[in-house]
Amino acid sequence: MAGQPAIDPMHQFSVHKIWQGPTFHVGGLTLDMSITNSVASMIAGAVIIVLFFALTARREIVPNRAQALAEALYNIVDKVLVTPIIGHQGRPYIPYLFTLFCVILVLNLMGVLLAIGNVAGLSLTFTVTSQLAITATLAVLTFFSVFILGFIKHGPKFLGLFFPSGMGVIGAILMAPIEMISYFVRPVTLAMRLFGNMLGGHVVMALFGSFVVALGILGLSGGVATLAFVPSVLSFAMIVALTGLELVVAVLQAFVFVALATVYLNEVVNFGHGH
Amino acid sequence: MASETQEGTAAEGHSSGLPQFDFQWWPGQIAWFLIIFFVMLAFIRFFAAPRVGGAMDDRDRRIAGDIAEARRMKDEADAQAQAAQADMAQARAAAQKLGAEARAKAQAGIAARLAEEEAKLAKISGEAEARIGAARDAAMANVEGIARDAARAIVEKLTGRAVSAAELQSARG
Repeated sequence: MAGQPAIDPMHQFSVHKIWQGPTFHVGGLTLDMSITNSVASMIAGAVIIVLFFALTARREIVPNRAQALAEALYNIVDKVLVTPIIGHQGRPYIPYLFTLFCVILVLNLMGVLLAIGNVAGLSLTFTVTSQLAITATLAVLTFFSVFILGFIKHGPKFLGLFFPSGMGVIGAILMAPIEMISYFVRPVTLAMRLFGNMLGGHVVMALFGSFVVALGILGLSGGVATLAFVPSVLSFAMIVALTGLELVVAVLQAFVFVALATVYLNEVVNFGHGH
Repeated sequence: MASETQEGTAAEGHSSGLPQFDFQWWPGQIAWFLIIFFVMLAFIRFFAAPRVGGAMDDRDRRIAGDIAEARRMKDEADAQAQAAQADMAQARAAAQKLGAEARAKAQAGIAARLAEEEAKLAKISGEAEARIGAARDAAMANVEGIARDAARAIVEKLTGRAVSAAELQSARG
């Protein structure tokens, strides 16, 4: 760590081992089950989710504030997304979509709220959703679950998705590859959108954070250099503003991911009579 | 173990790009993430979602039930009010009918009495007229006797002779 340059906004994303776990060799792949800072953050997120619902999920007719909060979160998936987009046939998929929402939301928010620890180059926390490995896993899992569900529900007829109706034979042949590309690019966009959003803001925040420290130290040296406190304070104000922005992004990206998953699911559930 | 860690940091140092593209961490992260994600899925599927969603379903059902109950009771009250109104209308109609009947009966009684009195009066006035007629006839009969007597007296005075009843009779005719 000593060899690291003072300003390295990417350092916050680097994974390192905390506890050495067992290593498996599956084919040519080495599966190292060590607890890294990334895995530790995931486990912390899981604990937060379990604690949150253990404390708030009550079955009272008149909810208290905690229960109302849990219900508000649930309603984002149920009443804002699934019911208007899919309808009542979408109800069985709410647990999956709600899990997706909770996991992404908690991991995103942990990344922002605890990122204060990263500003001076300390890595007290870790944004799991800024790891492409994780966003890609979520995207691929969601996309292929939906795709396979389409075949389970509709059989080979589901391939009709790639042949827009009313195009004629030649039109269909021309359009099918385009439709396929636009369909199979979905997991890529899902993964990249969340990854990019979580990455960008954190990089900028870390940059401003390092400015605060570097310029502050410069200001301490006295004389004309005392003026360096001005940009240092401005950078700090910038971090405060960016933290607010990043909170919005954290919630919004969790919502966007689940909203898109709901839209993709809708094509499968209401296949043939939606469009 | 130690060598691996060193290798990791070395790789970090060499790759100037994003740490996210350091693929040595991918399998472990993905495996752990899948485990945690499916544990969360099971937790939410079997605990959180049924409780949170169930509470809201219960509430919706309860509200819908209460509204239905309130609507039913309102309908019942409306029906009762309507029945009461119908009863009132019926009672009013009965009272009106009773009044009309009584009035008709009274009127009939008055008419009967009036007719009776009129008949009585007519009878009395008829008798009186008959009596007047008889008196007049009697008077007229007397007038003839008086006229005959007067005529006889006049003839006797003028002619000096007595007039017989038969002559008087023929003279009148």
